[in-house]
Amino acid sequence: MLKSQYFLLLCAIYPGVSHARGKAYEEFDKGRHSAYRKDVFLTTKPFQRIVVGFVKDEEGMPLPGVEVRNLKTTEVAVTDGEGKFQIKASETDRIQFRLIGFATVEVAPKEAASVVLKAETSKLNEVVVVGYGVQKKGNIVGAVASAKFDETVSSRGLSNASSALQGLLPGLAVNQNSGMAGNNAAELMIRGLGTVNNAGPLIVVDGMPDVSLNRVNVNDIESVTVLKDAASAAVYGSRAANGVVLITTKSGKRNTKPAISFNSNLSLVRPTENVNFVSNYAKALTATQVAQSVNTLPNAFQFKNGTIDQWLAMSMIDPKRYPNTDWWDVVLRDGLGQNYNVSVNGGGDNSNYYLSFGALDERGIQIENNFNRYNLAFNLDTKVAKTIGSGIRFSGNWSQYKYNYTEGMTANSANGLDLFTAPAGILPYDPVTGYYGGAMAYNESSQATNAYADYMVRNRNNMNQKQANLNGYLDWKPIEGLVARVDYSLSYNNRFDWRADIPTQAYNFQADSFGPRIYVGSNEPIYNTDRENFKTQLNAKLSYDKTFGKSHVISATAIYSEEFWKDRYLSASRGTRLNPNIFEIDGALNDVQTTGGSSEMEGLRSYIGRLGYTFKDRYILEGTFRADGSSKFLPGDQYGYFPAGAFGWRLSEEPFIKPFLDKIKISSAKFRVTYGSLGNNSGVGRYEQQELLTAGHYFLDAAAVVGLVNKKFINYNLTWEKTNIFNLGLDVSMLNNKLLLELDYYNRKTIGMNRESDLSTHLSGVYIAPRRNIGDMSNKGFEANLTWNDKKGDFQYMVNLNYSTNKNTLLSWSETLQRGPLFVNMPYNFVYAFEAIGIAQTWEDVYKATPQGASPGDVLIKDLNGDGRIDANDRKAYPEYQLGRPTSNYALRGAASWKGFDVAVLLQGAYGRKEFWMNRVNSPFLGTANQAVTYEQLNQTWNLDNRNAEYPRLLPSGLGSTSTNNYLSTYWLQDLSYLRLKNVQLGYTFKNNLIQKIGVKKIRGYVSADNLVTFTKFKGLDPEKSTYANDSYPITKTFVFGLNFDF
Amino acid sequence: MAGCRKDLLNQNATVSPNSNTFWLTEADALSALMGNYSEFRPCFDRDYHFDGHGDFLKMYNTGAAPISITVNNPSSYGNGAAALYRELYGSINTSNYVIENIRARLLPNAKTAASKQNLEAIIGEARLLRGIAYFRLISLWGDVPYIYKVASAPIEVDTISRSSITKVKDSIYADFTYAAEKLPNKGAAIGRAGKPAALAFRGKLQLFWGSWKKNGWPELEGFQQSATEAKTAFEGAAADFNRVITEFGLNLFRGGAPGEWGEMGKADVLPNYYYMFIPSTGNLNADGEMLMVITHGGNATNQSEEYMRVWTGVSVGLSQNQAIPRYELADRYQSTITGDFLPKMVQMNPSTNSAARTTPNSSVNPESYRNRDYRMKASLLWDYEKIMGIGTTETTGFVAFLYKTWSGKITIDGVSYDAFNDNTTNLSGLQSRKFVRNYGGQNRSSGDYNWPLMRLADVFLMYAEATNEVNGPQADAIALVNRVRARGKLPALAASKTASKQAFFDAIEQERIVELFGEGQRAFDLRRWRAIEKVFGPAYGAGKWFQDSWGNNWERFFFNADELVYQRCYIYQIPEAERTRNKNLTQNKPWR
Repeated sequence: MLKSQYFLLLCAIYPGVSHARGKAYEEFDKGRHSAYRKDVFLTTKPFQRIVVGFVKDEEGMPLPGVEVRNLKTTEVAVTDGEGKFQIKASETDRIQFRLIGFATVEVAPKEAASVVLKAETSKLNEVVVVGYGVQKKGNIVGAVASAKFDETVSSRGLSNASSALQGLLPGLAVNQNSGMAGNNAAELMIRGLGTVNNAGPLIVVDGMPDVSLNRVNVNDIESVTVLKDAASAAVYGSRAANGVVLITTKSGKRNTKPAISFNSNLSLVRPTENVNFVSNYAKALTATQVAQSVNTLPNAFQFKNGTIDQWLAMSMIDPKRYPNTDWWDVVLRDGLGQNYNVSVNGGGDNSNYYLSFGALDERGIQIENNFNRYNLAFNLDTKVAKTIGSGIRFSGNWSQYKYNYTEGMTANSANGLDLFTAPAGILPYDPVTGYYGGAMAYNESSQATNAYADYMVRNRNNMNQKQANLNGYLDWKPIEGLVARVDYSLSYNNRFDWRADIPTQAYNFQADSFGPRIYVGSNEPIYNTDRENFKTQLNAKLSYDKTFGKSHVISATAIYSEEFWKDRYLSASRGTRLNPNIFEIDGALNDVQTTGGSSEMEGLRSYIGRLGYTFKDRYILEGTFRADGSSKFLPGDQYGYFPAGAFGWRLSEEPFIKPFLDKIKISSAKFRVTYGSLGNNSGVGRYEQQELLTAGHYFLDAAAVVGLVNKKFINYNLTWEKTNIFNLGLDVSMLNNKLLLELDYYNRKTIGMNRESDLSTHLSGVYIAPRRNIGDMSNKGFEANLTWNDKKGDFQYMVNLNYSTNKNTLLSWSETLQRGPLFVNMPYNFVYAFEAIGIAQTWEDVYKATPQGASPGDVLIKDLNGDGRIDANDRKAYPEYQLGRPTSNYALRGAASWKGFDVAVLLQGAYGRKEFWMNRVNSPFLGTANQAVTYEQLNQTWNLDNRNAEYPRLLPSGLGSTSTNNYLSTYWLQDLSYLRLKNVQLGYTFKNNLIQKIGVKKIRGYVSADNLVTFTKFKGLDPEKSTYANDSYPITKTFVFGLNFDF
Repeated sequence: MAGCRKDLLNQNATVSPNSNTFWLTEADALSALMGNYSEFRPCFDRDYHFDGHGDFLKMYNTGAAPISITVNNPSSYGNGAAALYRELYGSINTSNYVIENIRARLLPNAKTAASKQNLEAIIGEARLLRGIAYFRLISLWGDVPYIYKVASAPIEVDTISRSSITKVKDSIYADFTYAAEKLPNKGAAIGRAGKPAALAFRGKLQLFWGSWKKNGWPELEGFQQSATEAKTAFEGAAADFNRVITEFGLNLFRGGAPGEWGEMGKADVLPNYYYMFIPSTGNLNADGEMLMVITHGGNATNQSEEYMRVWTGVSVGLSQNQAIPRYELADRYQSTITGDFLPKMVQMNPSTNSAARTTPNSSVNPESYRNRDYRMKASLLWDYEKIMGIGTTETTGFVAFLYKTWSGKITIDGVSYDAFNDNTTNLSGLQSRKFVRNYGGQNRSSGDYNWPLMRLADVFLMYAEATNEVNGPQADAIALVNRVRARGKLPALAASKTASKQAFFDAIEQERIVELFGEGQRAFDLRRWRAIEKVFGPAYGAGKWFQDSWGNNWERFFFNADELVYQRCYIYQIPEAERTRNKNLTQNKPWR
């Protein structure tokens, strides 16, 4: 019985695989001694006989557990492990066969000897990975969303799993911030910002928390599950407050021939949006004159008219000495991605395996930005004895990453000392001499940046990373229903960063001499940092599942878990290289060198229990409990307790509701309620609660001496940050299971967010503010997931619409809050803005407004409180909008196939976010030297001839602190709502005899495009990016061409 | 269920010692004192920032300084020092930690007299550091909260109120007195204070107290002007300074000899004064001029200074010219021939006047700078003066300074030199040489110069000032001022300069301007002398224009400024952010 259930599960997971079924069918056939026997109708009673029959599925597999009901007598029987049943019936009776996941069948007794139940094309039968186990979707009572990673995902040629999750699941907000090769992962957030501390979800890959999601080969991923409420996530206790993302990788199937699959794709990558720098240097200089004219006499302009005229004329005949460089063009190139994967899977009677190799090569759209990664995965499960199974999972990856700035184009600092300080009048590079150009124009600052040199010889960052994740398990099933399992996992990560910039000095081609600017000094050191982290986890699990009688199903699970982290780093540098092309430390003098090194450890011990009880398939009760002890806290405060309870009511199973639901074509409906609490310990440092002295060394007699400083106050009352979640859900399947609807409402309350307390300035000069449980926050929201699945002949299609919206409120804060975007009873980071009246066109406009030091061309600010002056009290709150992240996300997915063709579309959007968008691209404050000038600054700023300009008049950057143009006013506030065609793809599968003759089962060719079109009012680089400082790495548009071969 | 890994939940920190196993030995006491010095260091080793509030140095910004204060405006800065306020209390709390723990845990168990003496000396040093920090606090903010013990919980200081300046001054005096009694005659090492430092600071405290009492401090509520108290304070100051000068056999750097001027334009030979401010020579302190220094390590010690980065331009170690001497300083350097001021130089614009470079007494004619105070050559660059160029750390040969020329070559006597590049930041026509190394090997951020927190020349001048306040010009005081002048190769003061109390005071002020340029003294002098109006003009006046060597107006301060602007320079603002947390913390009058 148990075995066949597992088999069923397998069938449900892999409906397309027929090898195993064929074999089982043969076995079944051998024993079909009674199916067509004449003595089916026994004559024990007149009119009423015992009907004996078998129930099978469409593929001939016996179906146990089918409810067989005589509709007339209401007698009920259940099929056994071989699908056999007996029931009393008279010839005129009707017999009904019901099994969840199959269409109900009614037959006359004489037709009951052999009944075939057709599987419903329902998602309810899918098996979903949940914490420490799997569950049938139909039985899930928590707020769980899951998705399979099928071809539509792998065909996108994505380098990381996080961006593949976008638009897939309601309640999971996915935001991509950059298209940078090697750094294009998306940020995940479940159900809004849960805390002011780390609000990202816990990532669990194949049962192992803390594996980096973005280094898993997307092609190896089988499915992803998101645990959103307390009932489903409580088994992850102290780290589940922000939800859990479970990733499951592929495994092989028992009794299948080796199947080899080869996928390759090629992506062409383009930026979605560009920064338009003015490449005409002479023109750009006039912009600085315009800015300076506000408070400077023309004869004192930094750049003289003569310089500008000379440049304008000479650049046409001598572009080397009078260059007009378009830096965006220089630093950008066509991106290219290549992705190759080979996998083999199969299995014998007692074992199954999956083996895969992937190679990824990304050439970023920015010069000198490359990322390569190689992945290897090996999963093996084998039966050691009849009751003992074991398996190992190994996955390893190795990558090389080359980049300039962590965030791509610029250091993203407020002063943006890089791309935005590269004036057009600098020659990037002269191939004849091999020199990098520097400032040449009269009065151009020698500190002007050569962005090309910046990327080619300076900021040459390299990161090599290696990871290995190893997991082994042993399970023992001594008696039916009881499983004992031990898992041990090791996750190892090595990261080596090195940097060795190449000494370079700027060259002045006009003066034919090296200019004063040294891009990289001659004794630039070689830096190395080696980080080694490992984590181990031991899980011991005991579970018991049993059905008592006909209607009581109980399940119990107990788990003990130990997790241990150790991180170590070692760093060193040496100056004065023997030769600029030497990149290893020994190739430099050891007179000036630095070293560093340390390690950190952490332990977590957990006890987990789960109890489930189902009555008559109708009422589902589940209780979960986890106790976590963490080494981060002091003894006595180490343990946190996280209980949760869930109740599910499958109302479609209630006889008194069923007829009504049938009428409105609802085949199944389930109502879910859960409540529980989760924790978060991410805000607390590993040794933060320990009484330690801090190094503060000194120098005596020209030698270092040990100095120690007491900087610690320990808050002995510090406890876990807790999140209580109430979740209400409804799952409905209707119209012959073609339509699946899932609705969820949640109320999530985070209590005691811990944060460094506000410490008196009389102490904070030396003491580190101790952490305190400081505030509460609530997130309420609604999620909907609507899926339509249908088939008409050869044409199959699916449409999915998912939507989630969240309302964040800061409930309390135990310290004084100043006026600002953090306030009680308001969303965290709500929009708090001065109100702009508009740009003053005349002096009359200025005089009519409240005095604020404006001139025509400046933004006028409204005196909101009417006190006759403009100050911080004139700001207005917009609680319906928040900064940083949208309140609501939605996506529409569609997929269809017809004969060999398949097509898929993903539309994704968000709203509820506004930002003050003023950065170096559109800032009306212009530096007078070493300044890159953008199209916006030159052409879209206010002047008498351009009164309807987009932006206020240009001002010299020195006035930035006083001008109303610099206020965070509604003038700069932009709505970042957007809807984008995230992905569209088209494929064709060849599956004919011709290719099969040469040993290929099928070939699929496809094209796919990401981020093709975006509908938004936002004028900046991309509405999806999470920051708008001066990080100017665009999100990319990708065109993918791919081929898959299955052998 | 028992765990598989023992002590899984007891993970101890790996690089930091636990405070519960500390305070067992004298070595622990010393480590804690060194920790105190390291907290004290950033509060004082960038004192040149304060010169940005005076009239002879342009401070652009605080660059990479660990503690930022508003420095670039001599007329508005009193609210720009909240970080300094915080860090001074940081150092004070650290001192309290040292003092309290040695007293409670080590001193009662001291086994020998030598051990007791050592521990008391360490307490003495911690009290000296605490006193100096409070001295700075009262100088800027007047009444301040007085924290004298370790806070066991943050709440203990959350409702603290300000103590009157008199009470705080008395506590500082007690700290300095204890230090003066317990410290050895000579600091135990370069970087540790000895008795002369404690006495000099006690003297300075009394000198300042005397100045405040004499001149009044109207912005500080409740502060009573008193001539008698002032007199007592000046007498006390003079007595302490006198002990420093006479009891310890200290002498000026290199015996106070001027050294060699070298040749005009060249920098291979420079006067002795220059060498006092570069690490290789100045920090040896053989003669004992440096009564108290704040030490720095060099390359890769994480304890370096960045003076070169601040004090010069790109051509020297990629530096940033954050501090630029104002042109007005040039006329302050007296003639080595007459010993008196020379006629003011005439500012001439060489781009419009071809004779500007050759006209006698023209500001852009190098000859106008000849035969002046040797400290000028040691402190400044003017047109056609050279300085050693440095790449990142390697010397690149001499570069020539020429105002408003920041690239290309400058030919002097047929030899072509790279132009000194100031990246257009120099708007005065003068560059600093003081604090700029003339040798390679260290980059702009890895200097190892020990900042002079108290030096003998200052004590000489303070002694002269204190005695002059009590009794007018005294022979020994005049002699000391002349010793300071002698290092500039200036003749002794003419009789007219010591003829009256005021004349001698002016001579002392002049000497302080030139001798202590860039050392953070001028702004404190202006404030305690109540001389801001004297320098910048009265309220609602024209203010003061600063100009460059070409005669261009550069920037003007106090133009049409009302009284409040001046008042806010005389007393700083108690950090408002703290006042919103603590209702007991009152605000200074001009900031209410």
